[in-house]
Amino acid sequence: MLDYRPATAGADIGDMFMSKKYSIFITALFCLFIFGFGAAHFILPDREFSEQENKNLTLFRAPTWETVRSGEFMEKFEKYYNDQFPLRDQWVQMKAYSERALGKQENNKVYFDRIEGGQTLFAHFTKISDEDLATRVGFVNKLGENLDVPVYFSLVPDKSWAWADYLPDYAPNVDDGSTIEKAQELCRGNVKYIDLRGTLGGEGDAFYRTDHHWTTMGAMRACFDLIRDISGGNSGDWYHEPELRSDQFYGTTWSAAGAAWVRPDSIYTMIPEGGTRGHITVDRYPEGEPIPGGLYYPEKLEVKDKYAYFLGGNQPLCVIKNPDAANGKLLVVRDSYSDCLAPFLAEEFREVHLYDLRYNNVSLKKYVAENGVDQVLVLYSANNFNTDKNLFKLGL
Amino acid sequence: MIFSSPYFLFLYFPAVLLLYYISPLKWRNLVLLVVNLIFYGWGEPVYVLIMFASIAIDYSHGRIVTRCKASGNDRGARMAVASSVVFNLLLLGFFKYYNFIAGSLAAVGAGFLPVIDSLPLPGGSIPFTLPIGISFYTFQTMSYTIDVYRGDARCQKNIITFGTFVTLFPQLIAGPIIKYKDLDDQLEHRDHTVEKFASGVQRFTIGACKKVLLANALGPLWDVYLATPGDRLTTLGAWLGIVAFSLQLYFDFSGYSDMAIGLGRMLGFEFLENFNYPYISKSASEFWRRWHISLGSWFREYLYFPLGGSRVKPPRMVFNLLVVWAATGIWHGASWNFLLWGLYWFVWIGLEKLWLGRVLEKTPAWVCHIYGVVIAVVGWAIFAVEDFSAMGPYLAAMFGFGAGALDGDFLYYLRNYLPILVIAIAAATPLGKTVWHKLPQRARQAAFPMLMLAGLALTTAYLVDGTYNPFLYFRF
Repeated sequence: MLDYRPATAGADIGDMFMSKKYSIFITALFCLFIFGFGAAHFILPDREFSEQENKNLTLFRAPTWETVRSGEFMEKFEKYYNDQFPLRDQWVQMKAYSERALGKQENNKVYFDRIEGGQTLFAHFTKISDEDLATRVGFVNKLGENLDVPVYFSLVPDKSWAWADYLPDYAPNVDDGSTIEKAQELCRGNVKYIDLRGTLGGEGDAFYRTDHHWTTMGAMRACFDLIRDISGGNSGDWYHEPELRSDQFYGTTWSAAGAAWVRPDSIYTMIPEGGTRGHITVDRYPEGEPIPGGLYYPEKLEVKDKYAYFLGGNQPLCVIKNPDAANGKLLVVRDSYSDCLAPFLAEEFREVHLYDLRYNNVSLKKYVAENGVDQVLVLYSANNFNTDKNLFKLGL
Repeated sequence: MIFSSPYFLFLYFPAVLLLYYISPLKWRNLVLLVVNLIFYGWGEPVYVLIMFASIAIDYSHGRIVTRCKASGNDRGARMAVASSVVFNLLLLGFFKYYNFIAGSLAAVGAGFLPVIDSLPLPGGSIPFTLPIGISFYTFQTMSYTIDVYRGDARCQKNIITFGTFVTLFPQLIAGPIIKYKDLDDQLEHRDHTVEKFASGVQRFTIGACKKVLLANALGPLWDVYLATPGDRLTTLGAWLGIVAFSLQLYFDFSGYSDMAIGLGRMLGFEFLENFNYPYISKSASEFWRRWHISLGSWFREYLYFPLGGSRVKPPRMVFNLLVVWAATGIWHGASWNFLLWGLYWFVWIGLEKLWLGRVLEKTPAWVCHIYGVVIAVVGWAIFAVEDFSAMGPYLAAMFGFGAGALDGDFLYYLRNYLPILVIAIAAATPLGKTVWHKLPQRARQAAFPMLMLAGLALTTAYLVDGTYNPFLYFRF
């Protein structure tokens, strides 16, 4: 048994602190650190948005009796205090550097590639069970049953599948290749699956290194596959060199990783030589009423979230018209991948309806009938398809 | 409120220091009492009422015991001690074990106790959650009345001073469990020297680094293996996971104790040590002299010795051990696995007391070290996997009945966590301390400020990013 001596004031404090001068120095250093950052937090203005993290920061809310009693005020305050901490971006980066120095191949659920030492960032996705996948594809099949027009279905694999060689060895991750294979086998009735794996697989420029989306080049080649299957036609001979729009794009995966060492991505457009082959108009429906819009939003190239350059970002519904095009009306059940694809579809179809399930509760069947849609394309990135909570609306 | 958070380190604590040191000496306990209540009320404001009740009841019981003893009324004094123990146990029993008991009874078909989800209070009901730190402070206040009766502690007549003891924020929510008799002199009179403050700074920084840089770094590895389904667990993977948990818990808990001791020193207090390199133990008994020392000592002093301790016939000693270890187990959480974990230690410590201890004495030291660390780590599997349907497969995988020896996931996690594991294992031994003290004093004095700033900066970086910062003692 140990012998417990009652503590006495001034017990063993280590010989380092026997000198008063040295103790004052250490005390001052510590106080400078905690009082300094504490005071800076008070003095510095609060930020509403973090460019680096691409998220809204928590702002201070005055306490009320009710929020203090329930603890809600304290919970919010802790978030606020962290979000508005002085030099927050630098602290976040310091942590990312420290993780990498410790030999970690990931930070905040983002893998660093093993070939270029963390220039390519892969989001860590959780696996999907076979039952869950079957339920989800079941909603697409239901849509096929509900409609008389052809329904096409396609999933965009993540770059962690296409560029699997770049992932750290044995990195646990979802396998989009097998998800797509299973999804394809589950399609029934007049639902036709379009496999984009051949086009998007292998090393290449189909994906951004710092963002989860596909690039303009990836979307263009996918469009060729889609056109071939939907209309049987060929397209593409009118596209030539990509045009650089920005070489300062830091995407979503970069924001999550805090990986300051990564060089930025570039955003390109592909426009047919001599301009678009018809008169293209875009109607946005942010709140039910159409307002004129465009395929590209150059002002978005000046902000952090540059992917919104394409079609201006998420919207419930967007209708693109090109009366001179060869094919009829296409409805795309969209996620954000479709924004970058839309300019290519616009060259091919007289009308493209980009329809977002998240913001629409109208029955798709009704919408298709009312608008005389000729074909429907359900296009999702594999990860969005695995996690989206609105797919059931396909079958309504 | 927890220490490992930016608002504690950069807002609450600087404010406390400022208030404390500008106050005259005689007001400092009152200042502490007020800031302690803010500290406690931050997480669960309504439960501050438990603090008030605890202070009032234990204070008055101490006074009654003293008065009875002074008038020669031993029976009255004993009644008062019993009443205080009953009150504290009821408090702990209701908040910590009521739903466990009700649920367990319902599970065997005797569900006459309703499970409580929320507490109806004037002004709206609140969720029925475990008040943070209740296992720690009920034990502290219980020891007070007992010690006053035994004559080991003086009765505290000033309710402010007593309240300061009950609510003292550095050790309020995760220990060390401090007995009143170890603190009473300091409550009345403590030195505030800059030497003590500086040594507190050192201790706090070490604790913060242990908690934030080591424990929080290893936690996600354990989470991966805890979440792995039993049929996919490999043998090496299961060991990797539980080793990560063993180190996480040690650095979390001992880091918290270090921070408490450091904060205490900065406010003039000197608390007892709570950990002493438990993973270098050569036996189960030694492990428990090195792990959570203040809890072991509490149970020894207020439960094991009163039952007769080891100075009884072997069967009675075994019974005494059984009671103490069952209590130690269930103290850690209202769940059957904690009881099982307590009994696991009962078996090892009982065996050591009866004959294994004598065998170990003749065994080479390195074998004893392996024995000591392996039984501790295996014990943590019982402790950490609360769900019995998962605990069996986890233990089976550890002992070779899993999905093979290793898989790709294991290789990935080993590759990624190897550096931090090596650092953590080295830091769990006295190696660093020994090397540090071999350095000349001047070298240490030159290196320390830089190490301290680096440690504080990294800690701040990990806290501000704040993706993983659990509080492990919400069950205690």
